[in-house]
Amino acid sequence: MTGRTLPNRSDRRKRELGAWLIMLPGLLLFAFFIWEPLLAAVRLSLYEANGMRVVRFAGLENFRSVLSSPDFWPSVRNTFLYLLWSLAIGFLVPIALAIFIQESVRLKSLYRTAVYLPNIVPSLATVFLWRYIFRSDGSGALNMLLSAFGVEAQAWLNDPSRVIPLIVVTMTWKGAGATALLYLAGLQGINPELYEAAIIDGANVKQRILHVTLPQLYNLARTLLILQVIAVFQILYEPLVMTNGGPNNASISLMQLVFRYAFEKYDYSRASAVSVLISIALVVLTAVYNRLNREKDM
Amino acid sequence: MKKAVYAGAVRPYDLRSPRVKAGYTLMTMLCVFAVLLALMPVVWVILSGFKDLKEFNRGVKAADNHYYLQFLPVSFSPDGYLDTWNQMKYVRYYLNSLAVVLGSVICAVLFNGLLAYGLSRLKPRGWKVVYALIMGTLMVPATTSIVPLFINITRLGFGGSFVPLWLSAGASAFYVVLFKNFYDAMPNSLLEAARLDGCDDWRLFFKIVLPLSMPINIVIVIYAVNAAWSDFLLPYLVLSGTRLETVMVRLFTYRTSDRVNNMDIIRAIVFSILPPILLFIAFQRQITQNVVSAGIKG
Repeated sequence: MTGRTLPNRSDRRKRELGAWLIMLPGLLLFAFFIWEPLLAAVRLSLYEANGMRVVRFAGLENFRSVLSSPDFWPSVRNTFLYLLWSLAIGFLVPIALAIFIQESVRLKSLYRTAVYLPNIVPSLATVFLWRYIFRSDGSGALNMLLSAFGVEAQAWLNDPSRVIPLIVVTMTWKGAGATALLYLAGLQGINPELYEAAIIDGANVKQRILHVTLPQLYNLARTLLILQVIAVFQILYEPLVMTNGGPNNASISLMQLVFRYAFEKYDYSRASAVSVLISIALVVLTAVYNRLNREKDM
Repeated sequence: MKKAVYAGAVRPYDLRSPRVKAGYTLMTMLCVFAVLLALMPVVWVILSGFKDLKEFNRGVKAADNHYYLQFLPVSFSPDGYLDTWNQMKYVRYYLNSLAVVLGSVICAVLFNGLLAYGLSRLKPRGWKVVYALIMGTLMVPATTSIVPLFINITRLGFGGSFVPLWLSAGASAFYVVLFKNFYDAMPNSLLEAARLDGCDDWRLFFKIVLPLSMPINIVIVIYAVNAAWSDFLLPYLVLSGTRLETVMVRLFTYRTSDRVNNMDIIRAIVFSILPPILLFIAFQRQITQNVVSAGIKG
């Protein structure tokens, strides 16, 4: 398009060069912060390293050692548990919240502002904060609140069967409001005439929500679902700060394994091996998901 | 305007049915509950910062020997906050965080903006490949590359410096997409006119494109401020142990430190969430509307 205003070829070449020059600083940053480290992670995972120095090619040795580490399978299982719980709790809450807020007549803007607030609380502060709420002795805020209703002090995060759902609750607290506002923006795009038409056809409230409201959110929900899966798969700060993976590895995640290898054991090649496994899993998950979606669309 | 309030699935006359009315009441109660749930933890932690350790840990003893959570502190004296602020030298951490935020915001707007400008308006041959590579990074877990990135930064001697943190904000696929969408919709005439006046691409970007993009600049600034303030993994790896630690890095080191008492951690949480909350209160309209709608397009 832009070439049309230019008379000849050497000018056009100059123009191209100028364009690349303008993009160069940004491209260098992408290369340095994202692209090169990504390739380097793959390379590092195939080598034996001594601290930051690469010693020799190791083939799949790092992967073998990672797979046979006692922490690996618990962390795989937990990561999928995080995923399942976050789909059970975290996926539906924002949709319901968005519909509720949209249907509310009064206080709409108060609802919007209030439910968004947790999103601007930094994630690190969020997990510290909820660690205090879930403290297991009588001093935890939740236990004290419940004791007013005569409920005994609970172990919360120290209870292996509860720790993952509770961490998911924390994540949902932070994320649900912001996601709800995304859905809300989608709901506001619904043509009111669709509802009028449904009403004329005799649809009751439930049918209107099922057949007019929800279909409008379908595409958005599909996108947000895969983004949520990608995000939850990399869960790190929550177990790191709230439980340090405990009790007894009941909440350790795959990313946390990377953190332990890299920044506690300084074993960068094994850390990279786990990262590569995570990436492969995510690429496969995304591909399968896109495939399923495409088939459904046809 | 008032009419549009009932644009959802539920219409005023539906409320004549007792079942719908009951459901609607339940919905309103859930909304209020969601608001309380969103706000309470934040209010609780701020109020807790006024308490002393004994009051915080045990609550207040009632006649039946139970300890009850005392929501309000016994006194609102700011001494506790001041003590923690001074003892932990929070002035320095605030200044460090401020420096990180300012530099990151400039880099985020400048580098991503320039790159998006090239991709959107100049489109040199091969731009599509670059764009695909950038979009691809949205799908690959960012934390995968943290280990090699950390190694690179250390090797280049950038450890213990703000520079890598600033520059890392300049490589965000999300910001590039937001900028590009905005530039795509910009009218051609202005740019062509300036070009005919002999403006080169750089001057065009700084004199015309950037000033005309205030709506998207504000959105990116809000995102970048929040991201830079909240980020701690890279800052922790780069700055930990130096005099340049940010508020979040300090908070993270309390994860394992047992020399710090609970009250200091509670107040550290408050110090880390106060600036974003104040910003949110000041800009809540822009944040809950513009930022969300920008997110949906990106």
